[in-house]
Amino acid sequence: MNSIPLEYFLLVAALLFVIGAVGFLLRRNLLVLLMSIELMLNATNLTLVAYNRFRPENHAGQIFAFFVIAVAAAEAAVGLAIVLAFFRVRRTIRSDDADLLRN
Amino acid sequence: METLRTLFPASNFALLAVILGLPLLGAFVNGVFGKRLGKEGVRAMALAAIGGAFLFSVVTFLMLPHAAAEGAPAEKLVWNAWRWMSVTGRMGQSIPIDVAFSVDAMSATMMLVVTGIGFLIHLYSVEYMWEDPGFARFFAYLNLFIFAMLVLITGDNLAVLFVGWEGVGMCSYLLIGFWFTDEKNASAGKKAFIVNRIGDFGLILAISMLVYYVGSLTWNGIEANAGALLTPVKIWPIGNLSAETLPGFLAKILIPAKPVQVYASTLVGLALFLGCAGKSAQLPLYVWLPDAMAGPTPVSALIHAATMVTAGVYLVARLSVVFLLSPAAMATVAITGVATALFAASIGFFQTDLKKVLAYSTVSQLGFMFIGVGVGAFAAGFFHVFTHAFFKACLFLGAGSVIHAMHARIHDVNKSQDMRNMGGLGRYMPITRWTFLISCFAIAGFPMSAGFWSKDEILWKAFSNLPLAPPASKTVPMWAWPANLGPAIYWLGILAATMTSFYMFRAYFMTFHGKFRGWEIVKGWKAPASHGHDDHAHDDHHEAEESLEGPTPRESPWKMTLPLVVLATGAAFAGFLMAEPIHIAPLGHLLEPVFEHASKAMTEREGAKGLMWPMMLPGLGAFLAGTGAAMYVYLNRAGEPERAFAASSPRFYKLLVDKWRIDELYDATVVGMVDALADIFTMADKWIVDGILAKLTAGVVALLGTILRAVQTGRVQVYAASMVIGLLGIGWFIVQPHAAATIDDTKLKQNGQVVLAAAPGLGYSYLWEGPGIPPAKDYSPVNQLSVRLDPGEKKDIVLHVRNAFERETTTTIPLARAGAKRMGDPGQNQVPEVRQLPTGPIPGERIQELLKPGGFQ
Repeated sequence: MNSIPLEYFLLVAALLFVIGAVGFLLRRNLLVLLMSIELMLNATNLTLVAYNRFRPENHAGQIFAFFVIAVAAAEAAVGLAIVLAFFRVRRTIRSDDADLLRN
Repeated sequence: METLRTLFPASNFALLAVILGLPLLGAFVNGVFGKRLGKEGVRAMALAAIGGAFLFSVVTFLMLPHAAAEGAPAEKLVWNAWRWMSVTGRMGQSIPIDVAFSVDAMSATMMLVVTGIGFLIHLYSVEYMWEDPGFARFFAYLNLFIFAMLVLITGDNLAVLFVGWEGVGMCSYLLIGFWFTDEKNASAGKKAFIVNRIGDFGLILAISMLVYYVGSLTWNGIEANAGALLTPVKIWPIGNLSAETLPGFLAKILIPAKPVQVYASTLVGLALFLGCAGKSAQLPLYVWLPDAMAGPTPVSALIHAATMVTAGVYLVARLSVVFLLSPAAMATVAITGVATALFAASIGFFQTDLKKVLAYSTVSQLGFMFIGVGVGAFAAGFFHVFTHAFFKACLFLGAGSVIHAMHARIHDVNKSQDMRNMGGLGRYMPITRWTFLISCFAIAGFPMSAGFWSKDEILWKAFSNLPLAPPASKTVPMWAWPANLGPAIYWLGILAATMTSFYMFRAYFMTFHGKFRGWEIVKGWKAPASHGHDDHAHDDHHEAEESLEGPTPRESPWKMTLPLVVLATGAAFAGFLMAEPIHIAPLGHLLEPVFEHASKAMTEREGAKGLMWPMMLPGLGAFLAGTGAAMYVYLNRAGEPERAFAASSPRFYKLLVDKWRIDELYDATVVGMVDALADIFTMADKWIVDGILAKLTAGVVALLGTILRAVQTGRVQVYAASMVIGLLGIGWFIVQPHAAATIDDTKLKQNGQVVLAAAPGLGYSYLWEGPGIPPAKDYSPVNQLSVRLDPGEKKDIVLHVRNAFERETTTTIPLARAGAKRMGDPGQNQVPEVRQLPTGPIPGERIQELLKPGGFQ
């Protein structure tokens, strides 16, 4: 059961998180940005459940992961709504074009 | 009557609420709904409010004599509305201040005057102001004034009186500046308000001092405890100013050999009189009243002649008990009164504006009233308030009637009031002329007229009264009246009376006799359709022309002449209410209980007995001389001697016409100083507040904004990047170990014990090092260390910290304990071995040994 060491989980999670973060920083497509955020959240989830596997008292890690999933769902809904509203106004979903407040 | 008496018992006389409430209601309705009501509605509301108040005042007046029978104290109807506040006195006692109203003979008489004459003037104003666009506003103010005045005279304590006092001041301001579009009127209103502030300062001071010394503000309370005012008060040097606290040369100048002490009663009396001088236009605060004539004429008649300006006299008479305790304050009142009477009369001599003449005559007559109350003849002074209300209101309304007639053709405010443009109006305006004449007779003191009885009573009392000095403390002598002060006031008063009759009849002859000088009278003249008659501030282009044609001046309608007739009747016969010399004095008897203590404190001067009738002769002579001179100069010679006088001594004549240039003097001194102060503050505002504070702050913020704006690119990714950088920073902080410890030295003084607690962190383990600590092999989770210090000892504790990532850090915590030389420590029961102090320089290797526990202490 405990054959896979914790470091493996953490390494995968860190990899996922970095992919999400770099994607968020470098891409300009709002939908891709949202997906990157999901990646980062899922990386966090992975660390949480991995910790829970090695320290299963109270299952705090799993419960926390559920909360993160719920928040992520809400975030996705709101984020998509914002993207949709933004698209109606500017006819684009490039994040660079969200600059109305600058001028 | 019987029903009324059961409904309104003397101790809970709620009828006053109706008398006070009606004008307030009128003010509210006219002020808020005036425009919607229309002129007829406003008229009905205003007249009904004041008329109702007058009717109920009559009822109150009739019920008053029965008050004493009902067990109320001293013929007084009292209505205690509600508890207002409560202040703590100097003995720690609680002094209640209620919204309470009371009516005694004096306030009942005042109420009749205010509501009665007020009603007549309302009636008059309906016609006078009919064409004015501010009709509703005017009546709202006028009703509000009546309300405030009634609060002033029925208030049962100084606090309520002060509310009314300020209320009438505000209404006066509003009504003086009624035609506020004209800069001159607005600034006249401001002047009245500001000058009155100086007086109000005195009144507030007096109220505070009364609370402090007497411990009561109600009339009964002040009367009962007035004796407390006979305390000497050190007024100089103030505070702890003494020879010790001041540099030598200043102390020589400022610190007298004996501290200056006066009686509290003198201080209170003078402070009160400052308030009265402001409200009642006495020297040196009279300057606002002549300017107050900028308001509509009915306002001048009601507020600035008959009622409000007499409030000061009323207050002095009301608090007569305070003044009786201070002959010095009384003398100040009387001397100021006679000086004002003379001074204002001299200004009135050559004024050409009809209303200005009346204004200065009012100031002069107020001076007479203050002579009365100043010499202790409170009833006489108050009676002059009463009679003056009749004839001066009549004179002002007569002047208003004349101005109204002049407006047929002359629309400029100044020109329509200028007596040089009048003359001969007696033929066209018989009612106005005769009522004006009767009032002139009254003010000049024609025998049997109202002014004769009141003025001669005042002058006679000035001659005969000698205020008794109250019992005083031995250390501070009480100032006593010199024997010749009274006669001096009497003769100066006679002089002022002569001048009064001269300038009043000058005004009469210039207005109503001779040839009409306003315009060329053309029978059947019709006004050109191009201009209206309604605009008061409107300058007529015809006036530039050399000869002006116009219609025959017409008498005013009945709404204006009826008040004139009623007031003239009063001016002729009101004197018989208190004609003391012929012993017909119903009002005098009524007022007796109010001024009971006053008559006890007065004595008749030696040698004055039996002189009453002879001393009337100078008064009569004053009337004859003044009137005769005016008749000769202005009727027989048509003003020729005045012009001759002006030609022979032009500078003195100009000085009189310019009112002794007192306004200019005030402008140069007081106003100039305030302006200079304002300039200084303007500079401070401009350079310090605007320049340094505002601009510098704005600059710093703008600079910061410019810097921060560079960061705010508006790109989501940049923000996200900054978040990532921040996260990295936090991560680095967590990875680094941090060595820190809190030092608990609460027991350091007791037994030299100090507890160190290292700050916790992720997987931290600790290693302590230091003198007297058993050396540890490796890091351990023990994060606490207890160290014992001897007095004067110093120790350096080294803390090593290692965290979960195997990183290490080190910090040194210096510890020290004060107090090197104390023998032993009471906290420790063992007596330490005492060593001898080493003499000479201490060798370095011995220091450690000496510092050891139990060693040298």
